[in-house]
Amino acid sequence: MKIKTLSRSVDEYTRERSQDLQRVFHNFDPSLRPMEKAVEYQRALTAAKLEKIFARPFVGAMDGHRDGVSCMAKNPNYLKGIFSASMDGDIRLWDISSRRTVCQFPGHQGAVRGLTASTDGNVLVSCGTDCTVRLWNVPRPSLEDSSISSENFIEPSATYVWKNAFWAVDHQFEGDLFATAGAQLDIWNHNRSQPVQSFQWGTDSVISVRFNPGEPNLLATSASDRSITIYDLRLSSAARKIIMMTKTNSIAWNPMEPMNLTAANEDGSCYSFDGRKLDEAKCVHKDHVSAVMDIDFSPTGREFVTGSYDRSVRIFPYNGGHSREIYHTKRMQRVFCVKYSCDATYVISGSDDTNLRLWKAKASEQLGFILPREQKKHEYNEAVKNRYKHLSEVKRIVRHRHLPKPIYKAMGIIRTVNDSKRRKEARRKAHSAPGTVVTAPLRKRKIIKEVE
Amino acid sequence: MGGGEKRKSSFKNLANAKKRRTGPHLPSSILKTIANEKRPLNSDEGDDEIDSAYGDFYEYEEGVPEEESRKNNRYERVVNYEFELAEDCEDENVESEDDDDDDDDDDDDRHSRMLKNVTELPISAFQGESKNKRVVFTEPYPESEFNPTRDVLEGKSLTTIDDFMEPLQGLHGNSQLSNMISRMRKDTQSLVHAPLPKPEQERLERDVANELVYKGFDIWVPLVKRNREAPTIYFNQDVNVGYSTVGAIASQFHPRTEFEMKMASLLDDHEILEAHKEDGARLLEFNEVSMEDHIKRRNHVAKMRSMLFRVDLKHKRIKQIKSKTYHRLKNKDLNQSGVGAFMEPAMAKEEAKKQEARRVKERMTLKHKNTGQWAKRMLSRGLNRKYDVTQAALSKQLQIHATLSRKMNSTKDESSSDEEDLNDGSDQDTSKLIAEAKEKILKTVDDDEVPISRLMSLPFMARAVKKKNEEAKEEGKRDIEELEKFGGAETSKKSTNVVGRRVFGAEAPKESEKESDNLFDNSDSSDNDMEDNELEAVKDNASPARNTETIMEAEKLDDIAGNPASKTTFDVALYASGSWKKMTGCKNAESKKASKTHVPISQSQDKKESSDSESDDSESDDSESEAEQMVDGILTCGSKETYEIPCQAELVSRAFAGDDVEGDFEKDKQEVLNQEVPEPEKPVQVAGWGHWTNNQNKRGLPSRIVREHEEAKKTREQALRKRKDASFKHVIISEKVDKKAEKLQTKSLPYPYTSKEVFEQSMRMPIGPEFNPTTIVGVLNRPEVVKKAGVIIKPVKFEEVNPNDEHPRSHQKQKPKKKGGK
Repeated sequence: MKIKTLSRSVDEYTRERSQDLQRVFHNFDPSLRPMEKAVEYQRALTAAKLEKIFARPFVGAMDGHRDGVSCMAKNPNYLKGIFSASMDGDIRLWDISSRRTVCQFPGHQGAVRGLTASTDGNVLVSCGTDCTVRLWNVPRPSLEDSSISSENFIEPSATYVWKNAFWAVDHQFEGDLFATAGAQLDIWNHNRSQPVQSFQWGTDSVISVRFNPGEPNLLATSASDRSITIYDLRLSSAARKIIMMTKTNSIAWNPMEPMNLTAANEDGSCYSFDGRKLDEAKCVHKDHVSAVMDIDFSPTGREFVTGSYDRSVRIFPYNGGHSREIYHTKRMQRVFCVKYSCDATYVISGSDDTNLRLWKAKASEQLGFILPREQKKHEYNEAVKNRYKHLSEVKRIVRHRHLPKPIYKAMGIIRTVNDSKRRKEARRKAHSAPGTVVTAPLRKRKIIKEVE
Repeated sequence: MGGGEKRKSSFKNLANAKKRRTGPHLPSSILKTIANEKRPLNSDEGDDEIDSAYGDFYEYEEGVPEEESRKNNRYERVVNYEFELAEDCEDENVESEDDDDDDDDDDDDRHSRMLKNVTELPISAFQGESKNKRVVFTEPYPESEFNPTRDVLEGKSLTTIDDFMEPLQGLHGNSQLSNMISRMRKDTQSLVHAPLPKPEQERLERDVANELVYKGFDIWVPLVKRNREAPTIYFNQDVNVGYSTVGAIASQFHPRTEFEMKMASLLDDHEILEAHKEDGARLLEFNEVSMEDHIKRRNHVAKMRSMLFRVDLKHKRIKQIKSKTYHRLKNKDLNQSGVGAFMEPAMAKEEAKKQEARRVKERMTLKHKNTGQWAKRMLSRGLNRKYDVTQAALSKQLQIHATLSRKMNSTKDESSSDEEDLNDGSDQDTSKLIAEAKEKILKTVDDDEVPISRLMSLPFMARAVKKKNEEAKEEGKRDIEELEKFGGAETSKKSTNVVGRRVFGAEAPKESEKESDNLFDNSDSSDNDMEDNELEAVKDNASPARNTETIMEAEKLDDIAGNPASKTTFDVALYASGSWKKMTGCKNAESKKASKTHVPISQSQDKKESSDSESDDSESDDSESEAEQMVDGILTCGSKETYEIPCQAELVSRAFAGDDVEGDFEKDKQEVLNQEVPEPEKPVQVAGWGHWTNNQNKRGLPSRIVREHEEAKKTREQALRKRKDASFKHVIISEKVDKKAEKLQTKSLPYPYTSKEVFEQSMRMPIGPEFNPTTIVGVLNRPEVVKKAGVIIKPVKFEEVNPNDEHPRSHQKQKPKKKGGK
């Protein structure tokens, strides 16, 4: 004979302190909860709304330059430090947490166009239109950094004068080489006053250069002949080149996927390429309405941030065609440079209005220490929102963004133009023999050819 | 010269066929010189070269001489002659000019001779002229590797070693030199080729580099694939937080205080260490104690001992002391334990009274049943579990309660429980008990039969009730049988009588008819609960036979009242009883007839009754009862004759008299259809509209409205035809859209999913903490990227990943793999 009795030990149900949580038991039988889907949907809706409510991405502005910020460099070894340079030759090191200048690096005569720091964060390299490459010793961060308000000035440790003006510079990951872009691509060593190697393919000047963080011997450049080129330092030769319809302003390699790179194009789109198959973009990231000036990948490799001439900063997923987020303020002018912080939590933009701006990468993220239960709740909200994101009500709330009027209008115009183009294409196709008019996919349309 | 002529003519003829008079007029002499000019250049060239050379001047050449020749040789020449020849071997001529080359000199000769004849000048003059007049190709750029000459490009007229050797022929050492050269020619290994042009070279380099880059990227693919497919990617989970082991922490220890220093000096003493390592014998040497220390220690020990002794003494003394409270408690205990043992009767009585009062108080207040504040608190906090003392105290209280509230044997309580009573009685009379039990069973069984409300009178409810009743009756029967068995022979006829009393319902089967007859004598007293009031009134007459009939009547009355429940139960019960069956078996045909005749009668009666007043009802009842009485007189079971068991079809039709299932269903379906696809409204003439003239009236509704109505009807029909349940007669498939559920559904498949099933599967299970155990909630809700703010994420580092080694998702989820920026 079976006897079922309720047996609950007192020990299990007794709280040690009055603040402790009461133990609660659940029966997880699904037949007892027939409304679970509706409940979760409602929660998703609430989560989406809460996300909107808590979306406060702007953390602060860093004011100090006297001209538009032309370029920035993050310190790969120190989270709080960021370097920025302006068009008047001023270079500054900022403390992000206090948003104050730590020190300045005076010396450049013209605009500084390129700025980069070595992987250990000790050497800063700058170059500009005054045809000089300057190396600086970065002061070690100390605890009193934030308290010192007096700005100290630092002399360059080396100044190398070269034949042409420079457009960009980038440092190798965990090596002592850096590359400058100008009339040609030059590879420099820290200790040499002359480039170690020079590459030239074509006659046009190179406007951006970026080392591959995963494969330190590979680098990609873009040139004013609308080309993107991949170089290999081991063979001291170029490997591949494509020519696009419009100029590429900046390139970023995916730090978690060394074969993939994304190019910020003058036509307002970003193109993600697989380094092995350059004849066709993997993904076209459209949303900006003007030229994309700079691009930087998140260290997680899942997102990248772009700054555009349309006065906005956008964050794209690495495989998504449209942006996840747009950041703009009334005072922010043309964005010339953007950086994703090394812990993938912040985004920094430098713009024409002489300011650096610090944004959260996730607009509604809660900063500071989060208790485990809080964290769980956040995760659940995120998961539930993600689950029901395709349902119209949730989608509408999640996707909704307020746009500045110029951008909104420009988007409308672009849409109209695209629509009419598509219409025309469709008509042409309809009125010609089948197979004669072939529409190239957008991924291929903007690529003119691949040069061997 | 002849060769030239020949070719010319052949060309000429060709051109003749196609076009005439092309190109400017040129004197033939010039043309010829031009033709000659080319020859020395092309003297040792291949066939193609000659062709092309001629091709250059072809236009000029052909037109003019043709004309001239035609003028001159209009009558002399045999055109056809040459024409045919040209047609035949034109191709040959053009293609293979080996023979031409052979007789080139011959041609030249002829040509010069001809010139000489024409112009009467020496041949040398022409020859000189032809040699001096060379065509000059001017090149815009100097000759270089980027701008090679035509000859070089075509690989012709290159200077060879032989050219250099020729002048050395016959000189001293020539043979030696030629030997060396021939040897060098044979030696192909040390041959050095000319370098490729630079662009070519670079392209090759780039190709190689490209391949290398491609391969370099390719090795990353498995790693990247793994990271991409992982449901969650973790960054910086293994941050170095400092020392991990006790040893590591201890190694950083530095003695600071005096004591620590002393300890450290001892620990670090080399001699002691060595002694330890050897055998420990030397340790004794280090262990020697000075006299002073020894005395000190001894004194200390003695002091301690004396102190211990004193403490012991003290304790003993304390033990012996008995306090006031001690004695009070002791007395109390004594009182409680043996109250009545040695007391006077008066005292005992007093004591008993007190005790009784206490007991009453206890029962009223339940003071000792752990209901006090303290006890409650102890229990709520579970402290009685933790501390034995508390537990003991609580149990003691309970014990007190038990003793106080226990019934005393001495007190004679009349209100003993049923159970006790039962126990007492069990010895006395089992048969009576059994009879009672049976009665109870029967009572409950019969109770069920009573139709209660209108809801119960619905056909399907009635059916269900009937079924249940039957089941219950079966059960009751079985119980009774059991009881009988239990009772054995002892069970008197009374008990069977009790059983038989309600046999007319369903229980009749095993009793003989006579018995059942007898039973009605003592039935009346307890029948109140089952019969209606009117029935009771009839029963008061108290004639057994009449009684049965009245009961039957009651059933009939119920029939008349339109209560199918009672009717059906009654009929089926009759049918089911075995003895009745027997009866019907012997006179089957009769009964059938009877039923046939009976039914219309009853119907007519019904009609009558419905039309007549209530008094009439009673009259008819009486008459009927009389008739049945007569039957009863003949046969004990005469009632069976009058209540002929109807045939099966009749039974069924009667059972389902009230419900037209098919019709109902059709109606329901039509309703649903109308609701889901509403019928278009019929156009109505609105008063005052379209009534102005007679014409309008006559015309009726405007054709437009009528047409619209028709169309709406048509669309409705189409919609109905399109429905899923259009072809099923007995099915309604609702196509109504639930608006509240609609927002939980998506119209199109979301992006990454390609099949509906997979998507639905993914959405099936809820992910919240209310719906899932804590162990998997974290896994279900984990974000795609797990990272910590404030920790630098390094770029990916290469690691070998077996592309075939597929990590299962569940495993991945359960055991987070750290990868990426380590």
